[in-house]
Amino acid sequence: MSAPAVRRSRGGAVARWTFLGLLALFFVVPQLAMARFAFQNVPVVMLDSSTVLQGWSAHRLIEALAEPELWVSARTSVVLAALAIALNLALLMPLAVLVEVYRPRLRPLVTAVTLLPWVVPPIALVVGVAATFRQVAPWFLASPLSLVPFYALWAMPFTYRALDAGLRAVNARTLVEAARSLGASLPTVLVRVLAPAMSAAIVASAGLTGALVLGEFAFASLLLKNTLPTYLVNYQRGAPQAGMALALTVMVFTAVGMAGVVHLLRRRGLGVSTVGV
Amino acid sequence: MTRTSTNQRTDGQHNDMATIEMIGVRKEFGATVALADLHLSIGSGELVCLLGPSGCGKTTALRLLAGFETPDAGAILVDGDDITTVPPRRRGFGMVFQEYSLFPNLTARQNIEFGLKVRRAGKAETAATVERLLTMTRLEKHASKFPHQMSGGQKQRVALARAIATQPRLLLLDEPLSALDAQVREHLREEIRRLQQQVGVTTVFVTHDQHEAMAVADRVAVMRDGVLEQIDPPRTLYSRPASAFVAGFVGTVNRVGARPEPDGWRVLGAHVPAVGEAVTGTAVVRPEQLAVQRANGTPGVFATVTGVSFLGALTRLTLDHPDEGPLVADLIGPEADGWEVGDRAIARVRADAGSVVLQ
Repeated sequence: MSAPAVRRSRGGAVARWTFLGLLALFFVVPQLAMARFAFQNVPVVMLDSSTVLQGWSAHRLIEALAEPELWVSARTSVVLAALAIALNLALLMPLAVLVEVYRPRLRPLVTAVTLLPWVVPPIALVVGVAATFRQVAPWFLASPLSLVPFYALWAMPFTYRALDAGLRAVNARTLVEAARSLGASLPTVLVRVLAPAMSAAIVASAGLTGALVLGEFAFASLLLKNTLPTYLVNYQRGAPQAGMALALTVMVFTAVGMAGVVHLLRRRGLGVSTVGV
Repeated sequence: MTRTSTNQRTDGQHNDMATIEMIGVRKEFGATVALADLHLSIGSGELVCLLGPSGCGKTTALRLLAGFETPDAGAILVDGDDITTVPPRRRGFGMVFQEYSLFPNLTARQNIEFGLKVRRAGKAETAATVERLLTMTRLEKHASKFPHQMSGGQKQRVALARAIATQPRLLLLDEPLSALDAQVREHLREEIRRLQQQVGVTTVFVTHDQHEAMAVADRVAVMRDGVLEQIDPPRTLYSRPASAFVAGFVGTVNRVGARPEPDGWRVLGAHVPAVGEAVTGTAVVRPEQLAVQRANGTPGVFATVTGVSFLGALTRLTLDHPDEGPLVADLIGPEADGWEVGDRAIARVRADAGSVVLQ
C-alpha cells in the first residue's frame, strides 16, 4: 500500500463518520427532547443541560394509559388496520400476480394507476365520497368501519409496490410455471406457492398498511371518527406531556415490533424486500 | 425448409413409436416469427437436444411443448393424442428451468413431494418415491435443507428430482445447467443423462452449448431463426453436417477454397471426397482434419504459425495461410511437439480425413 492511498482513505473515513454522526443527531436530538419533555418531572422552562438527570418518571405515561377512551380508540384503529390490510391483500395480491406472471406488459400502466391515490388529496377524496354516500347509503358513513375502503385505497401505492417487488424477487413467473407443470391449479399456486414464498413481501406490505392506518389523521378527523391518532391529538390538547409520552411509547413499540418480524423472516432466509417503496 | 426427414434415427436404439410429435408448429410474437414451421418427432425414451443460438426458437418450442404458449398453427401430439390446447397442469410433463425454480419456503424433500401431493398420491407411495429420488440424485444429506442453504448444483438436482417425481410422460429441460459453473455443469450433465436413462423418460433438452448437446443427446436438433436445420445423432451431426451453419455451430471449422476434380474436390492441395452442394466453392474443414508438417526445404505454399495452445490431449495451432487466411489445426501425438510461433509449415487435409462439407 502506498502512503497517499492510506491518507486518502482516512480522509474518506472521517467524512463518512462525520456525515453519519450528523444524520444520527438529526434523528436522535428531537427524540431526546421529546423524551425529556414527556418523562421528566421538571418544569419545561428548566429543561436545560443542568437538569438532564433530574426527576425522570413514568407517571404521566401511566396516567395516560389509564384513560379508557384510549383503549376504545386504539381498538378501533387496530380493527381498521386489520380490515384494511385484509381488503388490500385480497384485492392487490391477485392483481399483482396477474400483472407479473400473465400480463407483464400491463405493469407500467398498473404501477401508474396504483399511484393515483396519492395524487388525490384526502380532503377531495373524503368530500367526493361523502357527498355521494350521504345520498346513496347514509348508514355507511355512520360506522367507523367506513374508513376501511379509504384506508385500503390510501395504502394501495405502498402495498402494490411491496407485493410487486416481492413477486419479482422470488422469480414468481418461474415458480408459477413450475407449479403448474407439476399439476397445481391456480388457487393452489397462490396459496401454497406464491403466498409462502413471498411471505416477507406480504408482511412488509401489511406492515406498511398497518403503520399508515395507525397514524392516519386526515380521513378520520374529516369523517369525525375516533381513532388512535384523533384521540392522541385531542388528548394532547389537555395534557401535552402525557400525550407526548404516549406518542413516544407507541412509536418505540411499533419499531420494536417491526424489527422483530423482520428478524424472524431473515432467520427463515426470506429477506424483506421493499424495493420501489 | 426443415430437413427432418433426412437421416432419421440411425442408432436403432429406440423403438419406432414416436411419442412426441410437433407438426407444422408456428409461433409469432408480434412481428417476430419465433418458429416458422417446426416438424419434430421424438421417440419413446429418447433424449433430444434443441441446440441453437439465442433467438433461434428453441425455448419457444419447449414452452409450446410445456403448454405455457399456444401455437398459432400446427399441432402437438403425444402418443397420437392432440394436446395442443391442453393446459400445462393436465399435460403431465416435468420441467426443469434455467433459473432456480425451487419453492423457497419448502425443503428439498418437500419440493420433490410437491407434485405428488398436488396429485393426491398416497402417503406411503409419496414417501417411497421421494426416498428413491433422493438416493438417485445423491441428495439424502440435503433432504431437510431449504433452497437458500443449497449450492446451485444441488438446487438443480432437486429441481430434476421434483420434475421426475410424478413420472412424467415427457421431461423438459430449459437450459438447466447454464446458471452453474463449468465443473458442476459437466458433472451434472452426466448425472442428467444417467438419470434419464435409468428412468427411461422421453426428454427434450434445450441448450445453446454444443458440447452439452453432443455429450448428452441421442439426437441433436440444430435450430436457426425458427427453422430446424438438422436433426441427427451427435456423430452424424459432426461428421456429416447438413449445412455450413450446422458445421460451424457444432465445433470449430476452417473455411477454405475448393476446386472440383473428378470424383471429388481439391482442397488445400489434397484430393478429398465431399458432401453437400458447392454453391460458393468453399469447403468446411475441421481442425482435426488438417495435417501440419514442418517446411523442411520442401516446395509448396507455406503457412506461418501464429499461435500454439497446449490443451492437454491435443495441441491447437493457429496458422496464417497466404491463400486461405487464418487456419486452425488440432494435432496429437509426436506431430504436436515442438511448435513455436513463427514456424513455417505446410497445412493440408489429411489423407484419412474422410469427407469435407462443401458450402
